[in-house]
Amino acid sequence: MSQAIALHKPGAFVDAGTLADGATLKADVVIIGSGAGGAVSASQLASAGFDVLVLEEGGHHTRADFKMREDINYPMLYQEAGARATKDVGVTILQGRAVGGTTVVNWTTSFRTPAHVYEHWRSAHAVGGVTVEQLGPHWDEVERRLNIQQVSLDETNRNNRVLYDGCKALGLAVETTRRNVKGCMKSGYCGMGCPVDAKQSMLVTYLPDAVARGARVVSRCRVDKLVVEGGAVKRVAASVIGDDGYNVSGKQITVEARRFILAAGGIGTPAILIRSGLGGGMVGRRTFLHPVHGTAAHYKDPVEPYYGAPQSVASHAHADRGDEVGLFYEAAPMHPMLAAVATPGYGAMHHGAMQRLPYLAAHVALAIDGFHPSEEGGTISVRESGAPVIDYVVPLRVRKALLFGAKTLARINFAAGATEVGFGEFPHVLARNEKELDRLTENYDVMKLPLFSAHVMGGCKMGDDPKSSVVRSTDLRHHTLENLHVVDGSVFPTSLGVNPQESIYGLAHLISERLASAWKT
Amino acid sequence: MNRRTFIRRGLWGGLLLAVGSSIGLASWPTDRSRKPRRGLRAIDERHFAILAAVAARMVGAPKADPIEIAHRIDAQLALGAPEARADFGKLLLLLENALAGLVLDGRARPFTHLSPAAQDDVLAHWQRSSLLIRRSGYGVLRKLTQAAHYAAPEAWADVGYPGPPQIGIPS
Ligand SMILES: Cc1cc2nc3c(=O)[nH]c(=O)nc-3n(C[C@H](O)[C@H](O)[C@H](O)COP(=O)(O)OP(=O)(O)OC[C@H]3O[C@@H](n4cnc5c(N)ncnc54)[C@H](O)[C@@H]3O)c2cc1C
Repeated sequence: MSQAIALHKPGAFVDAGTLADGATLKADVVIIGSGAGGAVSASQLASAGFDVLVLEEGGHHTRADFKMREDINYPMLYQEAGARATKDVGVTILQGRAVGGTTVVNWTTSFRTPAHVYEHWRSAHAVGGVTVEQLGPHWDEVERRLNIQQVSLDETNRNNRVLYDGCKALGLAVETTRRNVKGCMKSGYCGMGCPVDAKQSMLVTYLPDAVARGARVVSRCRVDKLVVEGGAVKRVAASVIGDDGYNVSGKQITVEARRFILAAGGIGTPAILIRSGLGGGMVGRRTFLHPVHGTAAHYKDPVEPYYGAPQSVASHAHADRGDEVGLFYEAAPMHPMLAAVATPGYGAMHHGAMQRLPYLAAHVALAIDGFHPSEEGGTISVRESGAPVIDYVVPLRVRKALLFGAKTLARINFAAGATEVGFGEFPHVLARNEKELDRLTENYDVMKLPLFSAHVMGGCKMGDDPKSSVVRSTDLRHHTLENLHVVDGSVFPTSLGVNPQESIYGLAHLISERLASAWKT
Repeated sequence: MNRRTFIRRGLWGGLLLAVGSSIGLASWPTDRSRKPRRGLRAIDERHFAILAAVAARMVGAPKADPIEIAHRIDAQLALGAPEARADFGKLLLLLENALAGLVLDGRARPFTHLSPAAQDDVLAHWQRSSLLIRRSGYGVLRKLTQAAHYAAPEAWADVGYPGPPQIGIPS
């Protein structure tokens, strides 16, 4: 059965549950995924006059749904209800799943891609088609639209302030961050969706812009595969997600278009290619995570790590460590569930530590993976049900860097007045001063450091050598399928060394402008 | 475990495996006294009983309700991939398994039949294990049970978390 759908104008947010089983939708351009890469592309291409259809697996949740509760909002807004992890569960992965993608739950820290990263990509990964000079005006434009501005020091909460003060005391470079917010009330609940629409996520910016220009955004619609015929992608086959928000309802839809853009994120995009029989080569390879290790510090006076802008301070003092893996340091908000997961031990020990939650400061060291030739990152595959898995055994040198990072964060906290600093599950390090810290970390088995990640990058590498990449760099077009593009964080050849969102916004803005002008002529 | 104990356990392990199988240690029934209060969506009653027993030791909060925690995890698993559900079931059975426990830890009873102190010892073994599968299994069970407890509002006061602020939501 095929169903005629009102085309092009007006745009709309559509719940796939309202479509008939077997419906066929048509558009000029289909964009799969509505996060950082998908939303910016949708807005630009709709503005250029194309009939754009965005397909998003997650639901269309808005501020009234953002209850500032971990038990409600994590299952609602995160991949695998918040329980995603690498294959050997060595790294817990937080990744969004909603209209607006991970930008709905991210912590608003905004950085442009460092210039040396593009230089490295040009020399080591044959990325010749994009430069930071070309990206400059696009970042300017994105920063204007998303109101990206630097935080002043007096706006930081104590969790961030101790990071700042400790770095200053040790002479480590540190700055307040820039954030994409407008009218932020500093409640501290960015990770559960902004309850006042202050966060300028894709949900309240580029997606409504796209819809205002005629785009349709179809939620609860999971793309199973692309169908290729005669050397081109002809349509996508998608499943409608059921009422629980995760399991398929049994309804299927088809979307036909002239051009297709994959923007389902690191993990999601390579998984679609693999399910479509378009895997092999570099598809799903070189997935990087900025593996994160967290440090807990206790203070005599309340820190209240659950209130206030989650991230407003960052230190890149150790981003460049020569041959060693680089690191950067930031704060992490701690609500009871995240704190429980991050706190080691069980039974009375765990509960005792949890009772000090108001006095807890939590910071993270993020490892800048993928720059050393030996670091090949993780690999994506799909299970029988089609669900993606990432296999990433974090290498020893990255883990060693993270131990160095944990010790540095401990020193920063001691310098800021912490009474005790702890990390690691077993052996668990709990030190009251630097001497104890050194003693307890001597011969520490870094393979046992518990890790997590909130930054999935790579898996569909860009580059101008088809043998070592999936899409070419000038327009992120698939090397062999001429009507297929990838525009999201999966195209990065390495990690970034900064939080990824603005790198993706800027790149999507530039590339979609190029595509719009190429397709018009 | 150092090399010598490993070799010793390796030798003894083979013997115990043989003896254990013959006396049916692997199939010793689970203590199912921890029963679900409502219908299950992802796991069966045996898994549920093991999971609730684990929750009772993992979550140290005095007011924690292991049955409720197990129900919340069941609901969460129902949203995941079928393979993830199956893997989780296997993990619970591995913990419960008396035979594996005997070979690796010298305990000859299923997890659900052990005293609370002996259950804590098993968790400690898994937490410290040189086997990645046990260490990560411990991590999964710890995080899921503790997260399920602390995410809910009933847990907040006990840890001094005042809850979300009242904010005037602009209309
Ligand atoms: C807790 C947290 C905090 C973060 N904080 C920051 C921060 O402060 N600053 C920063 O720069 N970055 C931050 N990030 C990361 C940042 O938000 C992401 O890197 C970025 O959003 C990735 O963009 P993307 O376009 O690649 O994918 P996403 O934004 O993840 O969008 C991909 C979308 O595709 C959908 N999708 C996947 N598969 C399919 C399919 N088969 N069919 C249909 N749809 C599909 C997904 O549901 C998702 O909505 C944070 C991330 C997390 C998890």
